[in-house]
Amino acid sequence: MGGGEKPVGASVNPWSIFSTVMAWLILLFLMLPSFIVVPMSFGGKFEMMFPPTTFDTILYERFFSTGNWIATTITSFKVAIGATALALLLGVPASYGIVRGTYPGKKIVTLFLLSPILVPVIVLALGMYLYLASFKATGTDLGLIIAHGVLTTPFVIVTCMAGLRHIDANLETAATIMGASVMQSFFKVTLPLLKPAMFAGGLFAFLMSFDEVVVAFFITEASTMTLPVKMYSSIKWEISPILAAISSLLTLLSLVICLVGAAAQKKT
Amino acid sequence: MAMVRLQRAGKRYGDVVALHEVDLSVEEGEFVTLLGPSGSGKTTMLNLIAGMIAPTVGQVFIAGKDATNTPPNKRGLGMVFQNYALMPHMTIFENVAFPLRVRKTPEEEIKKKVAHVLNLVHLPQVANRKPRELSGGQQQRVALARCIVYNPSIILMDEPLGALDKKLREQMQLELKRIHTDLKITMLYVTHDQEEALTMSDRIVLLNDGRIEQMGPPDEMYFKPRSVFAADFLGSSNIWDGTIESDGSATIKSGDKMKVKPEAFAKPGTKLKVMVRPENINVIRQGDDESRFENRVNGKAIDTLILGGVIKHYVQLANDTVIIAQELTRSGRRSLTPGQDVRLAWRPDDSLPLPAVGKIEG
Repeated sequence: MGGGEKPVGASVNPWSIFSTVMAWLILLFLMLPSFIVVPMSFGGKFEMMFPPTTFDTILYERFFSTGNWIATTITSFKVAIGATALALLLGVPASYGIVRGTYPGKKIVTLFLLSPILVPVIVLALGMYLYLASFKATGTDLGLIIAHGVLTTPFVIVTCMAGLRHIDANLETAATIMGASVMQSFFKVTLPLLKPAMFAGGLFAFLMSFDEVVVAFFITEASTMTLPVKMYSSIKWEISPILAAISSLLTLLSLVICLVGAAAQKKT
Repeated sequence: MAMVRLQRAGKRYGDVVALHEVDLSVEEGEFVTLLGPSGSGKTTMLNLIAGMIAPTVGQVFIAGKDATNTPPNKRGLGMVFQNYALMPHMTIFENVAFPLRVRKTPEEEIKKKVAHVLNLVHLPQVANRKPRELSGGQQQRVALARCIVYNPSIILMDEPLGALDKKLREQMQLELKRIHTDLKITMLYVTHDQEEALTMSDRIVLLNDGRIEQMGPPDEMYFKPRSVFAADFLGSSNIWDGTIESDGSATIKSGDKMKVKPEAFAKPGTKLKVMVRPENINVIRQGDDESRFENRVNGKAIDTLILGGVIKHYVQLANDTVIIAQELTRSGRRSLTPGQDVRLAWRPDDSLPLPAVGKIEG
């Protein structure tokens, strides 16, 4: 209800109060870890404490000055960018084929393309590990890019399918009748109009890949670890307070990406 | 030369026949309208010509060449859609320039041509705007300009005025007609609006259930319908069941006897339909001379509707038969009081005999 006005005769429903309170409680529960980790990251360098007793940015300084952590972060960015590119390259044409195409077996093709969402991540990770191992591609950035590409493509497909359904198919028909080839009509009409959906899908794919632990854990080695994997491994040996700083940075990254995504959606 | 010709072209989907085998040809510079209710096959016919679907049987000729297997982008046609189908991410200039860019026209020429056609549709000032900043009528004029600019052999229009309100629609009809006459463009227009078809067309092709019911110029379609369907679809009409008597006149269900226009098929004893246009039926008031009208009936008024420029009188005859008479509105011309006795009269030439089933052949 845009104006926020109550319809005539509407009484306050006890159920609606209950569901509102529940929703806020659940949101609070989900946000709580961030509320604890962020203040902790500004604490001292010797132990994780909540509430922190001092204010210090030493943990951040340490993160940015440790070559090891930086290299891992760079790997994570490389992999996430590669996986996003792969997911867009596969997902955009796939969604076009699903939404605009008419051919027998379309439902089955759709289900197959979206199946990585349905398969448990651990199963996917094991399968990817065995598959990539047969090419000797485990422990390489490319191997992880491929694995993450598989994982994130369905999400690009889903957002682009929604985007395409909003683009009037008559526009493509009009372009065709005016003399445009299939390629011209795709690149000059469909693709520019699909940009917001591609942007949203791409951001989502990037975040998924950047955060992903399970598949990355199977496929990377010590030299090619991504940030989340390195965090996980380091927590096994010692609970280093630097993790709080990295977690806060990751939260910030997600937040920035979501805000950028929301702003882009608003603009279109 | 025929710009478009369908030769025994038909389309079926499995067991469903969307279009029976039809022949149609549209001459250069002609304005032809495909008219019919939804599901009558008019959009199928348009898509066959545009190349969006392939015919199950028959051939499609465009500008004299067999184009049955030519893909839509090589047919050299133009099309205007009901929802305009302007590219929302391009300016009006870029929209109109699109077909020229696809054809790799030099930039200088594009500028000149786009400016020229935007002038033609009276919209030279909107070149730098986006489609969503224009009104529906303006968008449709841009869509038309986008067709005119590359000089296609024919412009196909799929209910182009369907999304506009009545006033704007009438303006646009005149505008379209003007552009058609000025530029001598060949146009194939699809509509379910009979008034639109009557106003604009050189020739109307009336479709019914996937077949061509009747085609001809608007006046012929209106004054000489060859079937009950055609009479009923174009304009409004009184249609009664009747029988032809030995003297050639007809007795309708109410028991009233009337003279009808002679038709070869209407032999004595034939059961048929009799059609009279409401505007040809006159309400006889005191002092009126009714000798000009040989057909006269008496009834009781049911109701009168005033529809702005015209009045419609509904009059009850015997045997549940209703007759509608239409007059021009004039100040002082009074409504009939329900239940009042009414005398109606019209000329034999205005009573058309029509076959009860099918149509008059020939």
